[in-house]
Amino acid sequence: MTKPIKKSIKSAIALSAVAVLGLAGCAESSSEPLVIGSQAYYSNEIVAEVYAQVLEDAGYSVDRQFALGQRDVYVPALLAGEIDIFPEYTGNLLQYFDPEATATAEEDVYQALQAALPAGLTALALSGASDQDSYNVTSDFAMKNSLTSIGDLAGVTGIRLGGAPELAERPYGPTGLLSSYGVTVEFEATGDTTVESLVAGLIDMANVYSADPRIQQLGLVTLTDPQGLFLSSNLVPIASDAVNQEARDLISAVSSAMTAADLVALNVRSVDEQLSSAVIARDWLLSKGLID
Amino acid sequence: MFSIGELFDWLTDAENWTGRYGLANLFVEHLTLTLVSLAIAGLLAIPIGVAIGQSGRGETLVIAISSASRAIPTMGLMFALVMFMGVEFRQFAVVLALVGIAIPPVLAGAYAGIKSIPIVIREGARAQGMTTLQQIRHVGLPLSASSIAGGFKIAYLQVVSTVVLAPLVGLGGLGFGVIQGLALRDFAQLTGSAVVIVLLSITGERLLAKAQGKLDRRLTQSKINR
Repeated sequence: MTKPIKKSIKSAIALSAVAVLGLAGCAESSSEPLVIGSQAYYSNEIVAEVYAQVLEDAGYSVDRQFALGQRDVYVPALLAGEIDIFPEYTGNLLQYFDPEATATAEEDVYQALQAALPAGLTALALSGASDQDSYNVTSDFAMKNSLTSIGDLAGVTGIRLGGAPELAERPYGPTGLLSSYGVTVEFEATGDTTVESLVAGLIDMANVYSADPRIQQLGLVTLTDPQGLFLSSNLVPIASDAVNQEARDLISAVSSAMTAADLVALNVRSVDEQLSSAVIARDWLLSKGLID
Repeated sequence: MFSIGELFDWLTDAENWTGRYGLANLFVEHLTLTLVSLAIAGLLAIPIGVAIGQSGRGETLVIAISSASRAIPTMGLMFALVMFMGVEFRQFAVVLALVGIAIPPVLAGAYAGIKSIPIVIREGARAQGMTTLQQIRHVGLPLSASSIAGGFKIAYLQVVSTVVLAPLVGLGGLGFGVIQGLALRDFAQLTGSAVVIVLLSITGERLLAKAQGKLDRRLTQSKINR
């Protein structure tokens, strides 16, 4: 009975020795691949895939570590140097590093983020594409009350605002609506059924992420926010010190090229056509002439 | 970062108990959803369980339902029903999902209660000339009452803890404070709501266990008095 066990232990030792030698060999022969991470959010993964492909096209080797979950999980990995590049959102990341931050406008948030980032991490070029909280109404409701901006709601009474339970306490929630725009709303916690509730008429206004494909698909009207109630949250690549200047320039170029409409279109392709992020990313890069 | 004192402060702050999403209102919503679901489940499952136990037919159904229930992802069932029926009917959809969760234990309790009655007693009732309905009313139900209460006890715990998910589909209930507290990193609210949920679960479970014990005692006493 003991013999085969001994044998397997021996072979395990031999195997691990081979593995160690093999790993050592790898480290010598080629430079470390760049590790690209992404959140467990399909839209974020597509953007990460765009970064990966543009780097691969330039001859870099890339290690994809996608669907890493929440900031609490992956930011420590970024700081530890386990991840080199990560597509992020300015406002949300700023709030993570500096919960007291007050900037809401696009440029201000970007600058505040650069200041708030710990040593070893850099925010590359800001993208025009954003994925942030926004207030949306149905086109019928917008037409009936002639709405384009959140402020236009000031005269309308009995507005029911729907969103996740935490919206009730957020600075851009009912309190912010009243102080910034003089709009009074009644809050309804609609949770994950917010968009459905808006369409069904259970609420009048819904908090939806601005790059959500359903805004386009259902013809919802996103109300403009001239007072900067919402924290801007534009796409921005975060790079560690392990990323060299050439690679940074490549990713910055991609980031600058991505417009708000582009990001929505990428999301729509993922939701509607159920394509893989690799295909969506490749098609977009080709259409922009960023790879060939 | 977070202390018992903060939790106590949060729970004793009157502001947290009032309003649309105050604890008082959420508590009532939570309890209502739970009791309505249990009542409907009882109305459906007790007659079926008793009928199966009495007739001895369809016993495989009881086993199938109670084993299948272990595999049902309750959260998925709730979401699927809300999406299928439409958000306008979310209350109905959630109650339906909760009834689905509550039926198996109540059904198993009713069936097992009838099944555990000694055959001599059941045959004795029949030999006295009782009709099937009389057998159920005067022998079956009184003797299986404790087992049915045991089924309700399990169902109550499962339903009361599943209702915590209701705010995800736009309904109220004490889960609101848990979900909101988690998102806002308000640990006093999160823990405070959780404490109320736990108290509600334990109190209900204890009450049902007490009822079960009482019914049990009545059963043994009636044997002695015979």
